[in-house]
Amino acid sequence: MVCAAVSARISPNFLERIVSVRMTHKWASSLDINLISDIIIEACTGLTGIIVAESGDLYNLEVWRVKSIMGRDFKYPQTIAERTAVELAHHISLAGRRLIRDGRDSQERE
Amino acid sequence: MDEIAKRENNAMRSEDKSAVLLVRESPGQPSDPYKMRELCGLSHAAGYRVLAEISQRRGRDHLFQMGRGKIEEALSYCPSRLIFYNPLSPSQVYNIKSEFGAQVLDRFNLILEIFSSRASTREAKMQVELARLSYDAPQVRNTLALKKRGEQPGFRGAGAYEQAMYHDIRSRMAKIRAELSTVEGMGQSRRLRRREQGFDLVALAGYTNAGKSTLLNYLTGSEVRTQDQPFTTLSPTTRALEVLGRRVLLTDTVGFIDDLPHFLIKAFRSTLAEISEADLVLLVADISDPIELLRRKLIASHKALWDCDVASPIVTILNKADRLDEKEAAERVENVRDLAPHPVLASAVTGRGLGLLEECLSQRLQPLPEHEIRLPYTSQGLSQLSRLYQSAELVKVRYEEELIVRLRGRKESLARAGLDKALLE
Repeated sequence: MVCAAVSARISPNFLERIVSVRMTHKWASSLDINLISDIIIEACTGLTGIIVAESGDLYNLEVWRVKSIMGRDFKYPQTIAERTAVELAHHISLAGRRLIRDGRDSQERE
Repeated sequence: MDEIAKRENNAMRSEDKSAVLLVRESPGQPSDPYKMRELCGLSHAAGYRVLAEISQRRGRDHLFQMGRGKIEEALSYCPSRLIFYNPLSPSQVYNIKSEFGAQVLDRFNLILEIFSSRASTREAKMQVELARLSYDAPQVRNTLALKKRGEQPGFRGAGAYEQAMYHDIRSRMAKIRAELSTVEGMGQSRRLRRREQGFDLVALAGYTNAGKSTLLNYLTGSEVRTQDQPFTTLSPTTRALEVLGRRVLLTDTVGFIDDLPHFLIKAFRSTLAEISEADLVLLVADISDPIELLRRKLIASHKALWDCDVASPIVTILNKADRLDEKEAAERVENVRDLAPHPVLASAVTGRGLGLLEECLSQRLQPLPEHEIRLPYTSQGLSQLSRLYQSAELVKVRYEEELIVRLRGRKESLARAGLDKALLE
């Protein structure tokens, strides 16, 4: 499981500036909300601001529940820029996952 | 004689368009009065007379969506329809029909009913039909599967006719999709032609009943139909406008609404392409709404714009500002700052703030690139020059041995006039 965090400054319609991009990964046999919130918090350590994530990634839990699980300010994407940022993070995490998987495959082949 | 009977029949039918509205709210969530208000507005737009509004707070009833008692209470008003805010599953529709003998509609079907009554162009009719079919197809498949479950070979089975129904729906959908894609292609070439003629394309988008058509009417002096009810406009309407020297085509589009199934948005893709392909999007919102509702509508509009892949700049217009005093308006603008950074406060009825809007438009539209071209000093060259006066903005014309023209305009419009070879770069 790979989690990518994009820290960015945004206006409602555009990403104004990407401050940093960070990736963390973890091996897990099952996906529960605690595990997901752990990896999100790990990826976002040291980054200030509100965490924005897709509602599907957090089992469509209500915002107040996610907030209390994570212990940080949180919201689901509302504006176009927030969605763009989440999409960017999705692309990065998918690419990271492929990299790890392909690397493992080639190691196994060797 | 027949005609009179038919007319009477029609009159009766329009008379008994009465409905009771039902909203079920989940126990965990705070109560939301706007749901009922929205449903009421939609039912009025569809021509229903609302007899009563009933809401209930409970978990979803798998048989009837709401409690049996509430449905009985609703039926005590003797309406012709029961309109539910919450989506009904096919089995719930069947259960309510067979148990209480009542005709039911859910919010999505109500919206489709409004659309089909308003659809005037062939494109709009096809879009509505596609939306209805894509809603029906899985339901028909579901019903067929249920029918087949108890089937035994050769004994009271679902015949070939029932089997064919699902395939007929699929093939009709494919046919409509093909036709719509040609319409889409036509729209694309139309937009290209308009850009070649030197127009900037600006789209008016926003939540339904925000005042987009009224704004279009005020800005362009046209007389598009406007009404204080949702979904008055269904097909896009385009009017020309001149904003501080820029020639602009303003397109009015169908309004957005919250929680629409994605296939409805897909069905209206050719209409929404007017928004996604525009050079600038004017997002209209109604500032006289309560702050919570305003935020929710803006979020829904952002979601819809995201779904149409809008990449062009967006200017938010907070319309109906004449209904508020300045202090209240400033407070609301402050509250939606994260969703609308530099909104234009305007009123399409009184014309307040529209000068500011024009300024904002000309600022946000991409500045046209400057070109210098050389034309021969012949009658053909001069006629080309006079054509340029129409399609581009001339900065300077020097009459030397040849005509040296400095102008501002799109490359496409120069290419169309056959002047791309005359460019001096």
